[in-house]
Amino acid sequence: MSEVVVIGAGLGGLMAACELAGAGLPVRLISQGEGSLSLSNGTVDLLGYAPDLVWDPLSRINQIAPPHPYQVIGSDNVRRAVAALTSHLPDGYLVGQASQNQLVPTALGAWRPTALLPASLAPPQPKDQSRWLIVGFDRVKDFYPKLVAANLSRTKIPGGGRVTAIPVRIDLPDNPGLPGGDVSAMTVARAFDQPDFAAAVGRQLAQAAGQAEADAIGVPAVLGTAGHDAWRQVSQAAGRPVFEIGLVPPSPPGFRLNQLLLARARQLGVRLATGARVTGFQANQGRIVQLTTDAAGHGQTYEPTAVVYFPGGFESGAIAMDSTYNLAETLFDLPLAGLAPVSQLISPSYSPNQTIFQVGVQTDKAMRPLTDGGEPVYTNLYAGGGLLAGAIRWTEQSGEGIVLGSAMAAVRGLLDGIGQDLEPKLAAAHGRRTQLSSSHPGQTPNWTDGAP
Amino acid sequence: MDEVRRLSAEVVVIGGGSTGCGVARDAAMRGFSTILVERADLAQGTSGRFHGLLHSGARYAVSDPESATECCVENRILKRIQPDAIEPTGGWFVALEGDGPDYSDKFLRAMERNGLPHEEVRLALARRLEPRLTRRAVQVISVDDAAVDGWALALGTVRSALEYGARVLRYTEVKGIGLTGGRTSTVHCRDRRSGEDFVIEAGFIINAAGPWVGRVATLLGIEDVTVEPAQGIMVAVSQRLVSRVLNRLRYPGDGDIMVPAQTVSIIGTTDAPASDPDRLVMPRDKIQQMLDCGEALVPGFRQARGLHCWVGARPLIRDDSVKPAETRKMRRGMFIFDHASRDGVEGMLSVAGGKLTTYRLMAQEVVDQMCLKLGSPRRCRTASEPVPPPPTDHFVAGQVTKPGAGAEAPEIEQPDWPISPAGRQRPTGPRHITDRLAEAESTRADDQIICECELVSRRALVSALRRHPDDSLDDLRRRLRIGMGPCQGGFCAARSAGIACQEDAWSAGQAVAALRLFLRNRWIGQQPLVYGELLKQIALDNWMLYGTLGLEQLPASQEVVL
Ligand SMILES: Cc1cc2nc3c(=O)[nH]c(=O)nc-3n(C[C@H](O)[C@H](O)[C@H](O)COP(=O)(O)OP(=O)(O)OC[C@H]3O[C@@H](n4cnc5c(N)ncnc54)[C@H](O)[C@@H]3O)c2cc1C
Ligand SMILES: Cc1cc2nc3c(=O)[nH]c(=O)nc-3n(C[C@H](O)[C@H](O)[C@H](O)COP(=O)(O)OP(=O)(O)OC[C@H]3O[C@@H](n4cnc5c(N)ncnc54)[C@H](O)[C@@H]3O)c2cc1C
Repeated sequence: MSEVVVIGAGLGGLMAACELAGAGLPVRLISQGEGSLSLSNGTVDLLGYAPDLVWDPLSRINQIAPPHPYQVIGSDNVRRAVAALTSHLPDGYLVGQASQNQLVPTALGAWRPTALLPASLAPPQPKDQSRWLIVGFDRVKDFYPKLVAANLSRTKIPGGGRVTAIPVRIDLPDNPGLPGGDVSAMTVARAFDQPDFAAAVGRQLAQAAGQAEADAIGVPAVLGTAGHDAWRQVSQAAGRPVFEIGLVPPSPPGFRLNQLLLARARQLGVRLATGARVTGFQANQGRIVQLTTDAAGHGQTYEPTAVVYFPGGFESGAIAMDSTYNLAETLFDLPLAGLAPVSQLISPSYSPNQTIFQVGVQTDKAMRPLTDGGEPVYTNLYAGGGLLAGAIRWTEQSGEGIVLGSAMAAVRGLLDGIGQDLEPKLAAAHGRRTQLSSSHPGQTPNWTDGAP
Repeated sequence: MDEVRRLSAEVVVIGGGSTGCGVARDAAMRGFSTILVERADLAQGTSGRFHGLLHSGARYAVSDPESATECCVENRILKRIQPDAIEPTGGWFVALEGDGPDYSDKFLRAMERNGLPHEEVRLALARRLEPRLTRRAVQVISVDDAAVDGWALALGTVRSALEYGARVLRYTEVKGIGLTGGRTSTVHCRDRRSGEDFVIEAGFIINAAGPWVGRVATLLGIEDVTVEPAQGIMVAVSQRLVSRVLNRLRYPGDGDIMVPAQTVSIIGTTDAPASDPDRLVMPRDKIQQMLDCGEALVPGFRQARGLHCWVGARPLIRDDSVKPAETRKMRRGMFIFDHASRDGVEGMLSVAGGKLTTYRLMAQEVVDQMCLKLGSPRRCRTASEPVPPPPTDHFVAGQVTKPGAGAEAPEIEQPDWPISPAGRQRPTGPRHITDRLAEAESTRADDQIICECELVSRRALVSALRRHPDDSLDDLRRRLRIGMGPCQGGFCAARSAGIACQEDAWSAGQAVAALRLFLRNRWIGQQPLVYGELLKQIALDNWMLYGTLGLEQLPASQEVVL
């Protein structure tokens, strides 16, 4: 059966899969592991620094200095992508807007700009004289309230003023779900899934906040593994605004978002093949005609009409360097931009902005990777996210924006049938897109019975 | 201006590498009041930049039988007195196809002649015992090599010295040496963390500054102790690919030894002249050469996850200005300079060269000479008395207060374990890499692992912080192995900084500065190996530290961190 294959179940792959399925295409999503979303802390960072602090990411995206993935993606795709993402999630799950960054505290006590974020992670707007209680839990290893509070208190809020942050550490109630002191953030989050536990901690917070005369409470992001129920229960019992502060992986807010998008993809009829790694492919006349996976010993082949490729970047090994310093894109061996002798890519002096991390794939407007000559490498291959050349995402705070924007651009490119290779059926399906995206999820026709 | 502080001691030892630590222990055991002065952390010089091999002597059997015998004897002594620092892995000499029988014949004859224990290992058995060993191996001879941890060795030795009343000043640099009537009388020091200058009145000085020994001599106006550092590069990859030390059975050359140390395998080393022991370099072509050497012994070495590389300097001493009689050249590479007969300055001996394996012997010989000069012959007992284990996770922090709080000195290292009247703690036996796992499992209920790669517990970190609140994350790393594993500090460095702040050892500004310094220092030994898994790890670490935690956005601290 003909289908679009999406490779990679991170934010980009999930978004592309949902959009394509929503447009009526049969979609298969192949991913090796969980995807990086469950490693992230769930915020939607579009552009935080360029290089100065950015307040309006959407308008800044169009003025970004080349070369940069946003030049190809453009702010329109980012705007659409944010709207689409919001539509795939429960109402009110994400707060904020693409044209307005807000500041959130980090688990080191720094201020970090982000555009949209899960409601549970949004603090009240930090103001001069705000009194925040910063609470650590005994079991959580990556959150030390004294460090967070002291840094927040000594750092000027970009935009003016300083909050007063008061650290306190509380012992979580005994719980059969929390054996011993050495547990992961996910295990703690699971304990919060129990309403009694959440309410009990909420009461502890109320007491501590009362003593400290705090007007809001920041806690490590461990309030439950599914949705925002636990956060609501804690907040209610605490009687004050409670906000979560994102943790290093594994971070429950990323996990929650991942679960929601996976469920949404399933609901839209996306066929999931997880735990499978695409290890080989065949091309014919400039098109990818076959993909081979290697899943726990037994491989499988797929014959995609088009491939949407969102495998991540350096952190996932999609772009890799061998011990003789040869860089390559590891699946399709796509041409890389930004290559140079290793001594120019990796400097002896420390910096998170090593030039090597700018290396990546260049694409046309439809997100098709290009040869050095500027032609699509394969006319039915669309790629984006961490693979794209020209941005150091952790420094720019632009990771999700690039992923989402390029996923939207790839979906549109695919649907618009740039480069005539798309089958007429796909183009026809695109015609129904508007209608479908407003229809109720779950009733999406699949490819066979949806075909005109 | 304030009066500078003055300390005094019968013996001042300059340099806290294995040699200096050994000298301090020996002198203290012989009843001399002793102060050890080290400009950085203990074993941060050559003794923390070596290969990790406790020589059996086999490597020198052909070229230098005397050294070989010394190593053989010291190897046995150290295994007995200092088992905590040594893992008795055993070692092999392996001839590969094409190596030719020449050297192997010479080697076996020399081993026989010098009575060095060895045994031929059948190839079939060798392949079973070391399945990763190259198929090109044609001959295998087993010897008594072992793995030795330079930090554990130095810290255990210092702990013993402290027990005998010695004092240790870390992060203290010797800036000058005062003479009174042709005899050394004072050592002028600077505390590098506080910036304070102070003076030690010294009865005698032993200069054990390793490759810096010539520089210390120039403080006396002696310009012709010329040290020409020869640098050697080591590369560590994750996991123990082999369980014994592997040596190439051929004339000693570059990259012919692989040592399994703790959780890693180390290939080394090179030999190239360097102009300055403080500015050693690790060119990528040399790293590539080491990877090739690793690949030759253990195919697939290049695919292993690169972890860290470092470079150390051997002090090669050029001393053609003096007649052989004046400089006592002690066998291969081991020197003791008698500055009285050589330069007419009484009251100081310089010692350098040798091997980490022979540190105890070097200490014994130089302290013997000092005793002669002081006209106070006292017997050396270091070969028979066990060295206590290095301080680790297990003891309770003692009565120690913040360094510098003592009335006497800027920072005096205190014994950091309870000294029972009945005597010293005995060594606990050889340590194995699995020990930490067992410890971690036994305390799982009430403690947390804060460095998952190296299984460092929160309790261990906190007790180390209590003892030395001024320590940097690098100092803690050398003691605890935080940040040495595959994640190279990605998780545990920020965690450790958080704990230090939570425990009131550091301010937030200090914690941030310490974290930044740690990352900068780790990069030195990472950057040539940023490929494969390490490249992936660095990207992930950057996501966490800068993307999630916003480290770059925190204000800089005014505070000095070293
Ligand atoms: C590449 C390489 C590999 C090696 N491998 C092995 C091996 O596998 N096995 C083995 O047995 N041996 C090995 N060796 C030899 C061994 O490492 C050295 O012999 C030993 O570490 C030397 O110890 P040290 O104390 O003399 O010198 P160092 O460890 O260098 O100590 C000297 C100390 O003096 C301090 N200092 C300098 N100037 C001052 C000052 N002005 N004031 C205060 N302090 C000062 C320095 O900071 C330093 O800590 C190797 C050496 C090299 C270079
Ligand atoms: C036996 C052995 C096993 C090891 N195993 C591991 C491992 O499992 N994992 C791992 O990550 N690493 C391992 N290492 C490497 C280790 O982490 C250090 O990189 C290495 O010992 C260098 O020492 P350092 O940490 O003191 O210095 P660095 O981290 O290299 O630098 C710290 C400071 O020392 C200063 N410095 C630089 N050169 C010198 C010099 N020549 N003398 C004095 N100071 C200098 C620097 O300026 C800097 O301020 C191992 C090393 C040895 C010897």
